Amino acid sequence: MTTNPPTGRRVAIVAAFTLIGLVVAMVCGLVVGPTSIGTWRVVGDAFSHVGIGHSTLSALQSTIVWQLRAPRMVLGLLAGAMLSVAGGTYQGVFRNPLADPYLLGVAAGAGLGATFAIVGAGSGVATPTWTPLLAFVGAMAAVSCTWLIGGRGMRSNASTLILAGVAVSALLTSMQTFLQQQSSSNSIARVYIWLLGSLASASWHSVWMVLPYVAACALVCVASGRALDVMSVGEDESRSLGIRVRQVRFVVIAASSLGTAAIVSAVGLIGFVGIIVPHIVRLLVGTSYRRILPISVAFGAAFLVFADTIARTVMAPSELPLGVVTAVIGAPVFVLILSLRRSMVR
Amino acid sequence: MNAVQISDLTVKAGSATLISDITLGIEAGTWCTIIGPNGAGKTTLVETVAGLRRIAKGSVTISGQSIGSLNERERARLVSLVPQHPEVPSGMSVRDYVSLGRVAYHGLLRPPSAGDRRVVDTVLERLSLNEFSGRDVVTLSGGERQRMVLGRALAQSTMVIVLDEPITGLDLRHQMELLELLKKEVLECGLTVVATLHDLTLAGQFADRLVLLDKGSIVLDGHARDVVRSAELSERYGMNLRVVDVDGSDVVVPVRH
Repeated sequence: MTTNPPTGRRVAIVAAFTLIGLVVAMVCGLVVGPTSIGTWRVVGDAFSHVGIGHSTLSALQSTIVWQLRAPRMVLGLLAGAMLSVAGGTYQGVFRNPLADPYLLGVAAGAGLGATFAIVGAGSGVATPTWTPLLAFVGAMAAVSCTWLIGGRGMRSNASTLILAGVAVSALLTSMQTFLQQQSSSNSIARVYIWLLGSLASASWHSVWMVLPYVAACALVCVASGRALDVMSVGEDESRSLGIRVRQVRFVVIAASSLGTAAIVSAVGLIGFVGIIVPHIVRLLVGTSYRRILPISVAFGAAFLVFADTIARTVMAPSELPLGVVTAVIGAPVFVLILSLRRSMVR
Repeated sequence: MNAVQISDLTVKAGSATLISDITLGIEAGTWCTIIGPNGAGKTTLVETVAGLRRIAKGSVTISGQSIGSLNERERARLVSLVPQHPEVPSGMSVRDYVSLGRVAYHGLLRPPSAGDRRVVDTVLERLSLNEFSGRDVVTLSGGERQRMVLGRALAQSTMVIVLDEPITGLDLRHQMELLELLKKEVLECGLTVVATLHDLTLAGQFADRLVLLDKGSIVLDGHARDVVRSAELSERYGMNLRVVDVDGSDVVVPVRH
């Protein structure tokens, strides 16, 4: 049997289920927690804010839902959406299935910046409140270095850029390790927690900080779907079809990296989402980036909020590292879909 | 005015000169095939005409416009390319693949217009690709695949089409079929073809004009029949070539010493 690319109907079904999953994830994010508040009371309270019905929540319950759980849920949505769409975009622009949002040094740069802020606090040269800022600066500096080394000039191509990313990451990671090793055990623990990524410190402030970056960058990534589809025929052929490959690559990498840097500065290094979600979506809707990228936004958002709900409840009151949960759920889901798809093809 | 005008063209890769001082004008609505031994510079020449190589010296103009002064999108509306080893992206439908040829018209942010879709329909029809249009590109046979790549180039609606060894890896029937399809486009639509071919017999039968290239320079240039029958051909290929007349067509055969 020959396989054909998925039909529009199948894509619509996947999109519909993804949106339903997203709504369920958002409700879970608000409802599930150590303090039990009924689902319908939370939903009723949400509607009362837009003038429909009236709330039955106490002031304390309202604070738990809207000042603790809601910003955490929204930040989870933003992080999941941005990391997934950036990962999918990187996979497209580098035509490499192993690409993830951290490929060009964002993680290593942010790690060094955050470590500097945390470790430097002990010696008075920095303060922990600088962590997001220094992580962001480190991430953008790292990607800029990678671009300057590997992305310019006539002969540059996707592979030189990836190799430059590897070199920059290795250098910055070694600097980060050195810095960390020189510091107190207290700082080491905090650096380690930051590196694992978490939504625990989410607040409305952090949501508003990253929202503009994520909105603009995710939009650019999604809009690049058609360009990435054309570029799947390779660099020379894309050029002969009328694509300015280098410009497209620059814009797309800039948007993915900026959005990722903003997210990393707020939540640390959440692994695995950026690589696994686009692959799951690809298995469901085919290889066109015009489909993969928008669906990855919703799928990634839902996926991360579910993962975070698990991370903060299964071992409550302590939390599991979010990156661990995304891998523990993501890997089996991926394998399941892969095997289902194989048996369908046969 | 020539459809393609190459003037004093030199192309380099690093310090190596791949093509030196080539001048060649190709009339609109004709078929010009570049022949020559491996390493002669055939691929470099056609890739330069398609705008993919940096010109060290000289110029290439298509329909009077210098390709160096055009951006990618403008150039893609003047000249299309069928590469020697096209990338075939798995998971893409044949129709979507052929539609890639319209990107230079509708751009990267807009979907294909009704006019773009009509062009794609016509191309699929002309190349008998309709029955495959929903198939995944990787499921096609070699002959179907090459026809599809030609379809993408024709969808670009250019005056000039450049083909680099378009029949490599095809069986005899599919080789003839593809070249016949192309000939039809030349005769019916006034397309200008610049191609490289290894098969000298087919090169002679389909082209109006043959250009023999060796070591980056033009050695012979003329009517297909004259070039095929020239003694120079054997010399440049470093072997004994004989031309046999079969029902009025020239057939080039290598003879073992």
